[in-house]
Amino acid sequence: MRRIVAILLLIILAVGISLSLAKIPFGTPKTKVGKYYINEGIEETGAVNIVTSVVVNYRGFDTLGEVTVLFIAAIGLGAVLTTSVKGETRKIQPASLVLYTGCRLLFPLILIFGSYIFIHGHLTPGGGFQGGAIIASGFLLIYLGCRERRINRIASNLAESLGGLTFVVIGLLGLVFGGYFLLNFLPKGIANTLLSAGIIPIIYIAIGFKVGSELASIIDNLIEES
Amino acid sequence: MSFLDSYIYYIGAFGLILVGLYIILVKHNLIKVIVGLGILDTGVNLFLISVGYITKGTAPIFSKSGIDSKHMVDPVPQALVLTAIVIGVAVLALALSLAIRLYQHYRTLNLRKIREQRW
Amino acid sequence: MVNPVILIAVPLGLAFAIPLFALFWKDIAKYTPPVALGFNLVVSLLLLPKVLENPVIVSIGGLQPPFCINLVAGPVGVLFSAIIALVGLLVSIYALDYIKEGPTEKYHMLYLLLLTGATGLVLTGDIFNLFVFFEVLCISSYALVAYLRNKAGIESAVKYLIQGAVGSSLLLIGIGLLYGLFGTLNMADIAQNIKSVSPISVFVPMVLIVTGLGVEAAIFPLNAWLPDAHSSAPSSISAILSGIAIEVGLYAVARVLFTIFGVSLSTTPSFLLFLALLGILTLLVGEMCAFSQNNIKRMLAYSSIGQIGLIVFALAIATPYGVTGGLFQLVSHTLSKALLFLAAGYMIYQAGSMEISALEGMGRKMPLTCLAFTIGAFSLVGLPPFIGFPSKFLVVRAALATKETFLFVLIGLALLGTVIEGAYFFRVVQVLYFKGEKPNPGSKDAPVAALIPMFIFVVLIVVVGIYPKLVTDVLNSAASEFLNRLDYIRSVLG
Repeated sequence: MRRIVAILLLIILAVGISLSLAKIPFGTPKTKVGKYYINEGIEETGAVNIVTSVVVNYRGFDTLGEVTVLFIAAIGLGAVLTTSVKGETRKIQPASLVLYTGCRLLFPLILIFGSYIFIHGHLTPGGGFQGGAIIASGFLLIYLGCRERRINRIASNLAESLGGLTFVVIGLLGLVFGGYFLLNFLPKGIANTLLSAGIIPIIYIAIGFKVGSELASIIDNLIEES
Repeated sequence: MSFLDSYIYYIGAFGLILVGLYIILVKHNLIKVIVGLGILDTGVNLFLISVGYITKGTAPIFSKSGIDSKHMVDPVPQALVLTAIVIGVAVLALALSLAIRLYQHYRTLNLRKIREQRW
Repeated sequence: MVNPVILIAVPLGLAFAIPLFALFWKDIAKYTPPVALGFNLVVSLLLLPKVLENPVIVSIGGLQPPFCINLVAGPVGVLFSAIIALVGLLVSIYALDYIKEGPTEKYHMLYLLLLTGATGLVLTGDIFNLFVFFEVLCISSYALVAYLRNKAGIESAVKYLIQGAVGSSLLLIGIGLLYGLFGTLNMADIAQNIKSVSPISVFVPMVLIVTGLGVEAAIFPLNAWLPDAHSSAPSSISAILSGIAIEVGLYAVARVLFTIFGVSLSTTPSFLLFLALLGILTLLVGEMCAFSQNNIKRMLAYSSIGQIGLIVFALAIATPYGVTGGLFQLVSHTLSKALLFLAAGYMIYQAGSMEISALEGMGRKMPLTCLAFTIGAFSLVGLPPFIGFPSKFLVVRAALATKETFLFVLIGLALLGTVIEGAYFFRVVQVLYFKGEKPNPGSKDAPVAALIPMFIFVVLIVVVGIYPKLVTDVLNSAASEFLNRLDYIRSVLG
């Protein structure tokens, strides 16, 4: 009975959406906002990766909200999974020597790769969120391979707060210096070099640290719980 | 066929959305419902990106000076999807932590049996 | 002249900095929300006289709309942010003593972020930014409903999360369809071009967006999560959810329908009648379910559903009287329902149970708290001299002024709903005052940190009830902002 109702609802939804999609042909240019960003992007922001300039500069307020959402999820997860009593610690079987050594060898390389991605966010595909996720996967590798290590809780909380605070403070500095929140007030430099694009690399570095430590603390909470 | 060629991304995205919604509406196990939520998120993100595609376009990155900007795809949906993926991850993380606590209280993940609240 | 961005940026920065401050001073987490919300209240009240004539348009990043995100601080936005700051401030003072166990630092961070999300949602002028702040609001409320980590809390949070996440995905599909049709995400820009495509192709995005926002705004039949979530959360969070979260969701629905899609009496009268019918249906279902409850917080939650139905009905009348009445009813519901939940919190704490029968004789044991509860109940039902009376009177007068017989029938049903509401509230007041034994000497009233906010709520309810003129000018300009979308478009796009 429930299946029939569900299938009926989904058929109505599918018909409705296809009626609307018929007006949005695939593969044709539809926007004026996108064209403006592509044409004016380099002069106005200095970043050659137009997606980065859209994410951080033109629609930076959305990115602030997204950073907040991730912060809320990490705190909410910590609040739901806090245990006041220490349960009995499970006997963890230590990993073999090859696995242990291999993980320790790979971990700094993964960290360097993640940092490369978020530092060069304005020049190549990538950015703060992608780099932060790669750093967190390095931490996951350590949890799986060298099983008794845990991250330093205080350091990761500090990294989270400082990352978010840096983003808001840069926005407020833009308000103080130029009259607009999140104004790109640092010099734009020469395009296609590392030190260009004003505030964009600074924001992305802050986001990279924040996301990396946040996802690592989420993984830490989940492993502690089980 | 050329019809399928031009609409394959839309059909794929909506297929994922409908599959995700079906799982959420019909299945009883909480972990399956959470997986369905993940599939729904993926379908919506795929739909958003395919709205911005321009045929024979390339990525909007000016990696060498003097690249022709006439055939670049729209950068705005890519920025929207970046935000939407992170929000989806946040919701899934919170849902999984709630599922862990729910299992500790009820010892089962069957949504039909977790019905202590009545009218 | 202050920039409205600081209404969002300063609380956000303080919330991010709480873990940093907590390294130096352990208790700072309790005191940060009152400070941040007090700042917001002062700034909103400073902005309010200036925006009554012309909305303040602030662009983020220094460009011109539609090529950037802009905030529209008009009468509606600043009124809502003042209410959010006021109610948030009073409930955070209440929570100084009420929240004692569990990870309290995280509670206060989540609380401040929930209110920041609500403030951002009412001030923004861009539809994807609306989605992002809507998610900030929803996800912090999922986490706060589960704060007590008991069986009821976790179960309600899971059900709320699943329904809310499906709603958000539908909202995102609707936004994607709108972007594909119009090529821009700015609300004023979409509103300007809405006539250029056929009505059938905007009907589907409208239904999807209203359904997605309607899950949070608790419109029938999308409100199955509400009774469980509002009754299993801690009482301060129930006050915020019933008083702010669903109202702000309703604001989002109204903004999308009135401003972007241009729903009005001249273009789509049958759709507005359908919405009015849906509102009255919600009202009757909510009041009838509330009548049969024994658990006091569940009863208050169903009453919230009923009141949202009445507000939807008032907004769907879509005349200046109707929208002003709807907004006035919204303000009165926020103040009364928050007061009811705050009072119920300590009554439940003393009685040890949420059943109404356990509250016998509380009127003698906790006289001030029960007096506050009674005033809140009378105000919600609509008795003079409290704020509920002028607001309900305005709604009834708006419905009668339209001269549509269908609306006469619906307003009759609304008055029937008010009678049912009066019945169950009088039953609770009777249990509080006219039953039970002598008070034993060990019982005491609620602590000072809880009595001060309740007292301020009572004062506001009585003062605005006696002099509604204090707020009616602001409400009139807010109503005209909703109904005159051409002025909105012109002030944003120039």
